[in-house]
Amino acid sequence: MDIVVLIGLDAFSYVLTLLLVTLGLVIIYGMMNVINMAHGELFMLGAYTVATLLASGVPFWICLLAAPIVVGLAGLLVEEFVIRHVYGRPIDTILATWGLSIAIKQMIIIVFGPAAVSIANPVPGSVNLMGVDYPAYRLVIMALAAALALATYLVIYRSTTGLQIRAVISNRAMAGSLGVNTRRMDRATFAVGSALAGVAGAIMSPMISVDPQMGVGFLIPAFLSVLVGGLNSLIGAVIGAGTIGGTTSILSANMAQADAQIIVFLLAIMIIRFVPQGLWKGFR
Amino acid sequence: MLLRLPILLSLAFGLLLLLAPLALDDWRLSQLAQLLTYGIFALSLSFIWGQVGILCFGQAIFFGTGAYVMALVTLGKLPWLGESQILGLLLATLAAGGVAFILGLFLFGGRGITGAHLAVVTLCAAVVIEIATGRWGFVGGYNGLRGVPPLTTPWPRDDIYLSGLETYFLIFAVLAAVYFLLLWLTRTPFGTLLAAIRSNEERTRFLGFDVTMAKLFAFFLSGMVAGLAGGLFAAQFGFVSPQLIGFALSTEVLIWVAVGGRGVLLAAVAGALLVRWGEDQLSDQIGQYWLLATGLLFIVIVVIAPRGLFGRILDLSPHRKS
Amino acid sequence: MILQIDQLSAGYIKGSQVLDGLDLSVAKGEFIALLGRNGMGKTTLMRAIVGQLKPSAGKIRFAGNDITGAAPYKAARAGIGYVPQGREIFADFTVEENLRMGLLGKPGLGALVPDWPYEIFPILKERRHQRAGTMSGGQQQQLAIMRALLGQPELLILDEPSEGIQPSIVHDIGIALRDYAKEHGLTILLVEQNLDLVSLLGHHALFMENGSIVERVDDMDRLQNDAALIARYLSV
Repeated sequence: MDIVVLIGLDAFSYVLTLLLVTLGLVIIYGMMNVINMAHGELFMLGAYTVATLLASGVPFWICLLAAPIVVGLAGLLVEEFVIRHVYGRPIDTILATWGLSIAIKQMIIIVFGPAAVSIANPVPGSVNLMGVDYPAYRLVIMALAAALALATYLVIYRSTTGLQIRAVISNRAMAGSLGVNTRRMDRATFAVGSALAGVAGAIMSPMISVDPQMGVGFLIPAFLSVLVGGLNSLIGAVIGAGTIGGTTSILSANMAQADAQIIVFLLAIMIIRFVPQGLWKGFR
Repeated sequence: MLLRLPILLSLAFGLLLLLAPLALDDWRLSQLAQLLTYGIFALSLSFIWGQVGILCFGQAIFFGTGAYVMALVTLGKLPWLGESQILGLLLATLAAGGVAFILGLFLFGGRGITGAHLAVVTLCAAVVIEIATGRWGFVGGYNGLRGVPPLTTPWPRDDIYLSGLETYFLIFAVLAAVYFLLLWLTRTPFGTLLAAIRSNEERTRFLGFDVTMAKLFAFFLSGMVAGLAGGLFAAQFGFVSPQLIGFALSTEVLIWVAVGGRGVLLAAVAGALLVRWGEDQLSDQIGQYWLLATGLLFIVIVVIAPRGLFGRILDLSPHRKS
Repeated sequence: MILQIDQLSAGYIKGSQVLDGLDLSVAKGEFIALLGRNGMGKTTLMRAIVGQLKPSAGKIRFAGNDITGAAPYKAARAGIGYVPQGREIFADFTVEENLRMGLLGKPGLGALVPDWPYEIFPILKERRHQRAGTMSGGQQQQLAIMRALLGQPELLILDEPSEGIQPSIVHDIGIALRDYAKEHGLTILLVEQNLDLVSLLGHHALFMENGSIVERVDDMDRLQNDAALIARYLSV
């Protein structure tokens, strides 16, 4: 019983953090058809923001607030200098953002060195939950991730800004002809999508190895989540992150992590190949 | 003009490579020979991406397959096959082609996938195969296989191992042969069909061409070329490891080809030589900046100069409108 | 002149122009109908005016400002309302959300849909919480027109609003729009094939052929009576 609870909690926490990264990707893709291969590096920038600020004595929770701002600003720069030049060329967005991912990674290596940085757990100790001792900070991660995912959902589906964002997604030209500043929407969406990746990296930073190679480790599962769930839909992102994150966690409990990864990736490849519109649209 | 500038420059490039041994010591020459092997690898991607328009994020799968097959054969891990290098290279080429054929069937068969889906699926396939290779004890697991014998002459002589100069010219000859084969292919009717697929796959299909078969064959061919490069690399480098078959090398070759110029075969080779040369020559410290510069250059090329650094000056296609 | 177009050229493929040195001027409060066979460049002209297509040469001035090549949102905010061919309502949005989209893009108009659109087209009120894509063509057209009018444009551009809609409903929409426009001094530029709507909403008719305007008719009765005119520009 305990082991089931433990695996369930682990799965849930991985799914929620994966969801945060995935949401950013989905919003950016849905809004501007940009496949952002640098998303993992934005995630990494969030973690390094925390590391840098912590080292200069800023309290962890302030770092957590600063990370999305820093990464959001980085996103603005990226949009201005790279992304907006490749709108409408989806394959080139893959390549250009891949170049960005290399460049950001190299900058981090040059500034911080190739070695991992460790970040102290801000909420040490554990909490007894349904009969198992579970690390307290993991529960914090879950709560934050769930709250952020919910907030994203509310902004997109319940606010007037969200209405405009969805209008641009569904018909960019018409939204423009109704007066929606599509240029500003693109910028804002890219910044918010980046900020979500940044905050995910910041939240996760005490739990994972913060090093220049960490981006890819999250990028690929997040990408698979997006494609498995279905591009262009927040619910698809939830389904995708649930499928990928859930399967990974459950399998990892029973076998070597590498083997679990192989199985999950193969499963994802199969789904993407045979249900290219994603699970959400594919079975509706 | 009988000899247009791109033709002259292409000839000059070839001549430069041919005369390079005059200026280089043995060690540098062996380095350059390795770069040429990467050049063959770049040709394989340039063909499938630049000529057919298939953006494959897992090209190292075929390179790595070739390298591993070569290593397994020449190390005698497959005893019933003997340890012949020629057989090793042949099998490396065929095995990589076979893997490409199977992957191609999976990717292009039925309704098939294209664009972003294809990119992500090939990328994941590379990751999966890299991890799986690292977990497979028979092929050396995470540590790979060491001591792959260097290239030898197929006939007996006092020192059967090829000298640096001989190795260099062998690789050069293979590179040239592959280059001319692919160049010839782009000029046949089949090459025209591939170009048509690149410019508009749907329309080509509606015109009644078997697009799936054409893509499959091109992918198979590209896989074989990559496998041949991988086989040669294993013998030159003496060591194969999961990195050769995975994600990182797959994306690296993509950058070489894009930087050189994806649409022109020789430009892709030049791109591979330039980028790899920079990585190898510069010390670790400056090397980081070189990688940074490569990433930035790659972005700039994708955004504003899709023909790459050498795509225009080495473009041999006749009478292309500017 | 509220809209002044000089020597406008535009097209979809480099080197091939759909519009070729077109001149057009529209005075404030005028109802202009633009007629011509398919493929003569009417929709291209509309898209160039609203900024969805960048012209390759020429000038577009609107209410004194140069809006040549401006982004669609700038043209919209300058006061151009657009009801495109095929209506292009947001099918997944509710009727009310569609109407709100008419307000949100314009600074200072708030986010709450006032009552007057619902008074003009009561069916929209009845269906306000329904998904817009489930409505009939005529209802969607009413929605598209109201969405544009909510942004309080000075010039309303309508591209084939009668397409695929029952003639009696087209007539009702035409009357409602004419009354609104007269009351608010709205200028209308209408691309249409339906001569009933043209006679309701057109003070002047312009005929377009091969990317330029070739004839202007001020006596609208000629549209009904002059068979030669109709045969020349409209019959296929």
